[in-house]
Amino acid sequence: MGEAIVITSGKGGVGKTTTSANIGTALALQGKHICLIDTDIGLRNLDVVMGLENRIIYDLVDAAEGRCRVQQALIRDKRFDCLHLLPAAQTKDKSALNPEQMKQIVEELKPDYDYIIIDCPAGIEQGYKNAVSGADQAVVVTTPDTSAVRDADRIIGLLEQEPTGSPKLVINRVRSHMSNRGEMLDVDDVVSTLAVDLLGIIVDDEEVIKAGHQGEPIAMNPKSRASIGYRNIARRILGESVPLMAIDEKKGFFAKLKGMLGLKA
Amino acid sequence: MKSGPPKNLVTIKGTKDGLTIMMDDRCSFEDLKTELQEKIEKDKQTFGHGPEVEVTVDTGYRFAGAKEREEITNLLKEAESIRIKEFRSEVISREEAERLREEGSLTSITRIVRSGQVISVRGDVLLLGDVNPGGAVEATGNVYILGTLKGTARAGLEGNTEAVVCASVMEPTQISVSDVMFYAPDRYEKKQQQGPMFDEPVFAYIEAPDNQISFEKTRLLTQFQNKL
Repeated sequence: MGEAIVITSGKGGVGKTTTSANIGTALALQGKHICLIDTDIGLRNLDVVMGLENRIIYDLVDAAEGRCRVQQALIRDKRFDCLHLLPAAQTKDKSALNPEQMKQIVEELKPDYDYIIIDCPAGIEQGYKNAVSGADQAVVVTTPDTSAVRDADRIIGLLEQEPTGSPKLVINRVRSHMSNRGEMLDVDDVVSTLAVDLLGIIVDDEEVIKAGHQGEPIAMNPKSRASIGYRNIARRILGESVPLMAIDEKKGFFAKLKGMLGLKA
Repeated sequence: MKSGPPKNLVTIKGTKDGLTIMMDDRCSFEDLKTELQEKIEKDKQTFGHGPEVEVTVDTGYRFAGAKEREEITNLLKEAESIRIKEFRSEVISREEAERLREEGSLTSITRIVRSGQVISVRGDVLLLGDVNPGGAVEATGNVYILGTLKGTARAGLEGNTEAVVCASVMEPTQISVSDVMFYAPDRYEKKQQQGPMFDEPVFAYIEAPDNQISFEKTRLLTQFQNKL
């Protein structure tokens, strides 16, 4: 029996969809059976990030309204047989689905998968309520921006009243050089404000943008630091205890030399 | 009370606080009114046309609600030089008792008040946890926070200007006591100013002369409350 995890954030653009795609991919890399569900009806993206948009025939709303069976709406990933996507409808809006239908679909999928990753739309309205209704656990994504942390705090407050209980936190796009200079919140600031368990941090990495452009989740790239972050998160979800990766970028030879000579690195 | 013909249901006594009209609490209210009216008419000369006299109306163990009080007030208006200072009674309604109990009580809450959440309490509130930006704690009495106040705190909601907001770490966005407001200085003006505003627990109160919110170290709270 699988576990349903909703990925949410409140604020838009902090990386919910990227995180959903990559946690799903990283878990699939570990050989787990994963189903991704995009609940952002009307503004679907997860299929694009996964590079699966041209394979969509039926979608979440079709399945909910009985125009097809849930299994028919699922798309198998090109890279992994154990990774499936249930795409959102693009021509409807959030009101095309209700929490009861969502719950039913998730329950129907649970026996076939180890994890069901639900990508939640931004906001705290209908779309959010739909996405959360089927979930057993929640992951809140935030960036180290004051506004994103504010919204994450709001959403954590809402999730604490749901059956999912207190969510786990992913801090996305961490830029160590900026927080070191005090120009941005650092990981400790965010964690102490939000006071929830930290599931992982993802450093800011241009490779992620490139990967999104190509429709290939960054988690597939073993060299990228963001990818390692996502893989660590997947291992933590599976119950392994993995230490947080060092967020400071590796210094180059000259920087090290300068450091040794006592110059400003 | 003695049985037999009712007499002296209404007694007027002079005390050091002025005149007190004592009213019997066993007889019917109608009898009381009748006697009060007689007394007033008889004593009109006594009260005379001199300077206005302040009286306290003491109804003993009789519950005098708004209606009864109004009737007594109307009767006393007949005697022109009397002004009612206050009604005193040994009993209060359950409703008022509840309210007073709440006003005087301390509610203790253990949680984090997150953005968009509001805790509203009658009386004093003790919060064990943080108030995050966008969250609010409000009380008709004092607000005590054992944690970091980064959001909004409102003390003395219904006008108590002597209420305080006390926090272990004070970094509020907004504080109000009664209707006096305090806004935090703008964020990130300078890197050095980012830390907490104070390096020890402080309380916020209304400073009398300029009617503004001021902060003082929590250990000086006793002095502040003694001064009042």
